[in-house]
Amino acid sequence: MAYPSMGEAHRRITDYLNNFSDAVSYQDVASLAQLFSFSSNSPPLLSVADALNFFQDANRLIKQSEKFSQYGEILAPLFRSLQSYRTGNLVDAYHAFEKFANAFIQEFRNWESAWALEALYVIAYEIRVLAERADRELASNGKSPEKLKGAGSFLMKVFGVLAGKGPKRVGALYVTCQLFKIYFKLGTVHLCRSVIRSIETARIFDFEEFPRRDKVTYMYYTGRLEVFNENFPAADHKLSYALTHCNPLREANIRMILKYLIPVKLSLGILPETSLLEKYNLLEYNNVVQALKRGDLRLLRHALQEHEDQFLRSGVYLVLEKLELQVYQRLVKKIYFIQKQKDPSKAHQLKLEVIVKALKWLEMDMDLDEVECIMTILIYKNLVKGYFAHKSKVVVLSKQDPFPKLNGKPVNS
Amino acid sequence: MMNQATNTQTLASVDPNSVENRYVINVSQGQTSLYVASTTGSEAASWNTYGVDNHSAGNGSFSNSTYHHVKHSEPSSRTVQDGSNATSLATSLTLGATDTQLDYGGYTSYSNSGYQGYYNGYQQQPNPSYSQPVGAYQNTGAPYQPISSFQNTGSYAGPTSYSSTYYNPGDYQTAGGYPSSSYTHQTTTWNGGNYANYSTQHPYSNYAPDTSGAYSAGNVGANSMHYQQHYKQWAEYYNQTEVSCAPGTENLSVSSASTQVPQVSQLPGVSGGYPTSNSQAPTTFATPWRPESSSSQTPLSQPGTTVTGAYDSYRTHGAPTFQNQHPSPVQPLFAKALDSKSSYSNFQEQQNTACPQIPNLQYPMAQQAPQNYQPPAQTVQSSETQRLSKLQIQTNPRIASNLPLGLSKLDKEGPNNGVISKPAYISVSQPKPSEKVLSNDAADSVIKAGVFPKSLKNYVQRALTQCKDEKQSAACQEIMKEIITKATNDGTIHTRDWDAEPLFQMPNTDMADKNSSQNPTPVSLFSKYKKSPTKRSKSRWEPLPEEKSVDKLGSLNNYAGKYSSKVHLDEKDRKPTGVNYEGKSDVMKKIRFPQMELKSASKTVQRQVKRQRLADATAADNGDASSDSDKEQNLTAYYSGAITLADTPEERKRRENRSKRFEKVQGNRAESNHFKAKNAGTGNLYARRTTALVLSKSFEDGGSRAVEDIDWDSLTVKGTCQEREKRYLRLTSAPDPSTVRPEEVLERALLMVQNSQKNYLYKCDQLKSIRQDLTVQRIRNHLTVKVYETHARFALEVGDLPEYNQCQSQLKILYAEGIDGCHMEFAAYNLLCVIMHSNNNRDLLSSMSRLSDEAKKDQAVQHALAIRAAVTSGNYVLFFRLYKTAPNLNACLMDLYVEKMRYKAVSCMSRSYRPQVPVSYIAQVLGFSSSMPTNEGSDEKDSDGLEDCVEWLKAHGACLVADSNGEMQLDSKASSSSLFMPDPEDAVAHGDASLAVNDFLTRTSL
Repeated sequence: MAYPSMGEAHRRITDYLNNFSDAVSYQDVASLAQLFSFSSNSPPLLSVADALNFFQDANRLIKQSEKFSQYGEILAPLFRSLQSYRTGNLVDAYHAFEKFANAFIQEFRNWESAWALEALYVIAYEIRVLAERADRELASNGKSPEKLKGAGSFLMKVFGVLAGKGPKRVGALYVTCQLFKIYFKLGTVHLCRSVIRSIETARIFDFEEFPRRDKVTYMYYTGRLEVFNENFPAADHKLSYALTHCNPLREANIRMILKYLIPVKLSLGILPETSLLEKYNLLEYNNVVQALKRGDLRLLRHALQEHEDQFLRSGVYLVLEKLELQVYQRLVKKIYFIQKQKDPSKAHQLKLEVIVKALKWLEMDMDLDEVECIMTILIYKNLVKGYFAHKSKVVVLSKQDPFPKLNGKPVNS
Repeated sequence: MMNQATNTQTLASVDPNSVENRYVINVSQGQTSLYVASTTGSEAASWNTYGVDNHSAGNGSFSNSTYHHVKHSEPSSRTVQDGSNATSLATSLTLGATDTQLDYGGYTSYSNSGYQGYYNGYQQQPNPSYSQPVGAYQNTGAPYQPISSFQNTGSYAGPTSYSSTYYNPGDYQTAGGYPSSSYTHQTTTWNGGNYANYSTQHPYSNYAPDTSGAYSAGNVGANSMHYQQHYKQWAEYYNQTEVSCAPGTENLSVSSASTQVPQVSQLPGVSGGYPTSNSQAPTTFATPWRPESSSSQTPLSQPGTTVTGAYDSYRTHGAPTFQNQHPSPVQPLFAKALDSKSSYSNFQEQQNTACPQIPNLQYPMAQQAPQNYQPPAQTVQSSETQRLSKLQIQTNPRIASNLPLGLSKLDKEGPNNGVISKPAYISVSQPKPSEKVLSNDAADSVIKAGVFPKSLKNYVQRALTQCKDEKQSAACQEIMKEIITKATNDGTIHTRDWDAEPLFQMPNTDMADKNSSQNPTPVSLFSKYKKSPTKRSKSRWEPLPEEKSVDKLGSLNNYAGKYSSKVHLDEKDRKPTGVNYEGKSDVMKKIRFPQMELKSASKTVQRQVKRQRLADATAADNGDASSDSDKEQNLTAYYSGAITLADTPEERKRRENRSKRFEKVQGNRAESNHFKAKNAGTGNLYARRTTALVLSKSFEDGGSRAVEDIDWDSLTVKGTCQEREKRYLRLTSAPDPSTVRPEEVLERALLMVQNSQKNYLYKCDQLKSIRQDLTVQRIRNHLTVKVYETHARFALEVGDLPEYNQCQSQLKILYAEGIDGCHMEFAAYNLLCVIMHSNNNRDLLSSMSRLSDEAKKDQAVQHALAIRAAVTSGNYVLFFRLYKTAPNLNACLMDLYVEKMRYKAVSCMSRSYRPQVPVSYIAQVLGFSSSMPTNEGSDEKDSDGLEDCVEWLKAHGACLVADSNGEMQLDSKASSSSLFMPDPEDAVAHGDASLAVNDFLTRTSL
């Protein structure tokens, strides 16, 4: 790294300070946001960081002019953070950045218009990213990573600043989404509930008023939450909203949405085209879909086992596992059709032995009792209409619509 | 303090009614009146102190002190009891107030203990002893307000410099008192009066309103001069408050009451009348209080002038009270009456509760006692005192119990106020009374010096009649002489109400040597008197050698007293007639073996709770030297006593300890003190605890340091305890190495527990203590894992999920640290727990995703995963098959889910099957059949579990029909609408019937 001369360093720092004060006085949010955007690693910012590390006494520069010193609370920690960031000391950088961010929102509170919202977005984003990296650093040092948690509580504070009647309220959803990201990362998704409640119940928020990207993100995360809760219709609604409103060019985002939307749709009895899976590289679902189509229990179990880790991590494992019943249904339905072809008059009486035999062909080693149990469950869950006659070990199917389609309704539970 | 506060409140409520009302015995009012009584009692107590101080005469002071204690004891006993049980409280109170000497003894001891502990805490190390009382107070439901005030006091107590500290407390207290309007009112009147009166003699003013007598007295005594100003301020303050809130009417009534009351109390005849009702008894007590208040009122209007007068009347009033309580024959009657009534049981209960508690409080101090023998030498009078004490203690069995208490109390005063500041106290107070004795009674007795008052003569006569033989009477005369000289020297000979003076204890030659340890106490008393007021300046909190010694002695005395009281109680249970020498001797023995005593005492109590018939045996036990078997018995008793857990001393102890945490203390000085105590103590757990507490407090340095800042390395101890068995008591402080077992011992302890045939409660307790010892020594190795695993398994076996969860979470950490153990087994348990009990998909997902490949191959984990699949799909057949093949203790966890699973299964069946399902099939599928290892029906010898299944189905509302072959069938259609989940029959508050205490009690062998 080529160290600049003292004069050069001085010039860069003063430039930075001038940029800051100009941006604030002209309410030029774009240039202001740039000054904070560490993670962009933009050359000007890095060069300022180098200058700071070289110059060492930037505080004097801040103090020398009234123009800067009025923002000393903001700028001093910002410089410190930038220095630490540049030297790779992310924990210190985070600490200083949090101080800076606190000072900034203090100032932000005093600005009546919402002009600096974009800058605040940048700060919210940066603090999250910085915290994640600081945590990684901490974890590698064997210390407990807790910075992301700290960032979470800071963002809650920011949310409080924004959640008001003024024009700044449109920024609340962005902060909420950053919070979601933190909470999902930390595995403390229960903390989302309070934010969601205030977004969805507070009168000050009109959901349509928020920026679209925030709405999509919000819907994506809340949809995921609904997947956890196995509230499939709600999950379907939210994720579909995210899918239809997201930027169609952002395939990665679409894929993320589909990753959850497909299992949800599957459990509602709606199967995707294979082409869709192929397009978004979601082939792990392919076998699941095939299993559903064919009533192939073995295939389903195999697919689940194959991608177990993946499904467990994304949290759809249990959802997919529940598709088993639909697979059984499909299987029984197939048997029914075959029987119907043979002898339509007796088609609605399915002998248990037949089903057991079919399962045996699928290499599913289940005895009579177990299959009987599954049949009762199918009837109980309304996947099969009819009844089971224990004495004769026969599933007696209803003559009308013995295998009701889900059609977007979840399986009775 | 707290007690008082509460009392006052109650009082206040009663107040509106004139005193006469109180006389009227309402059932409803009974309680209140009782309360009043207690209050008065305490106040009277304060009074007594005062009197004691004035009369420096040894005997007199002793007796007074005794009374004092008695009164105090009442409050304490009240405290002990839970506020929730109002009625019992009331009765107990009455008992305390009016009862026989026996009862008195008991009470006295109690009060002392509490008192002393309190006191101690106050003086030297606010922390340990002090906090304990607080805890006790907190226990009571009612006294809550007071508690708060108490704590405040505690905090201020912390500061070394006395004066400044003191003041704040006062503020706090008042503040605490105020919230309750009635209380405030009372206080105001009182305080105002007192303050005004006493601008010089503070002790009282403080006393009555806010704090317990001892406390205020001590403080006041310490720097009287200093305080006066403050007091004045206070008085003003009070006056103001009074004006604002004090109803004039009340005051009036009070005053009238006061005039009447004193007389009543004075007359023996009146007292005779009392026996009729419990509620009445309190009245007597109330009276003394009243007068005081009235007197105080006058002062309010004319602070300067009336002071002395008020004071006098005050005193006199106090005296009568004493009379009533102490020697009057009425008391025995009362006791009897009470016994016959159901109240008796209450009383007993109270005793039980109180008893154990006291030991705890006192115990540490008692231990200290031995160390401080030197002090006696200090005072010239010591030798005399010793004699006195010896004599006194044994002579009068009835009073005996009281006496030690009194002594102790005095001792306490001595160290705190007395030793250093006492002179001030006396000097101030005495002159005035002697000069102008305006009160009714006092006036009679006042004669010129040199002439003995009639009452004194009577007193001497009374004392002499006590004597049973020549020896005794000689000794008695000796004592009397001393008392009288003392009184003359003090100038209190006339002012003192000799009629009210309790008799000193008769000397008992046999016991003399045993008593020798106690002798020092009286000395301390005297010493306190002797000292000049000027000497005392500061550092009341510093551990002056004399003070300490005094305290310790006092505690010893208390100890004796308490024990005697206990013994008395026991005996009383059987034969209300009275005390015998056996009890005495027991007491003595106890003094010798305090440690053992404590245990036996608690044991006794518990047993009493359980079975009265054991009382005799217990009493006998007390005499025995402590032995292992004894200890073991104690332990068992402890567990068996679980039924009374809420009230048991142990529980309370724990609560106290917990409450202590919130107090900030500067325990440096205390520390040294307690270290000694620790050394002295042979094995008392509690004492050690206390020590440990002090330790920690000192580390915390007044609580200013945050927990994170504590240097845990410095707190890590290396245990030295060699005993295998140890009861669990939650640490609230730094551990004491002498109570902590080193690793080898712990290993043996674990083995012992593993092989123990005792019930789970016992094992759980033992394991918890092992865990604690491991933790405090920061042992984290295979042994730690083993202990947690063992505990987790035991917990699972009985379905104690909370305990299991604790272990599981610890194990998770331990395994993560790479310590070997049954990792897989517990991974399976963890999974099962999440599956069946948390019902949280995210938890399930995360714990599943955390499983390693290796884990997934483990049999137990696979089993757990299979169960998960069965549960999520509702596959009951699979579930019950897995249940039968469950490895390890997986079945235990599944047990907790069986009911739910069965219900789900049956509702599914009734929906899906038509027309019928044979019950035999259901029984087979749902695990009712005999091959099941355990189940609700497995105990019985039903070959196929069919009966159980039928029963279960019926209990859940299923419709059963018999088909043509006589086989039971489930009518699925009818059942589908009639199924319900019955309320669990064995529902218990803690949610786990298997932990029901009764169950354990029946299994516990005594």
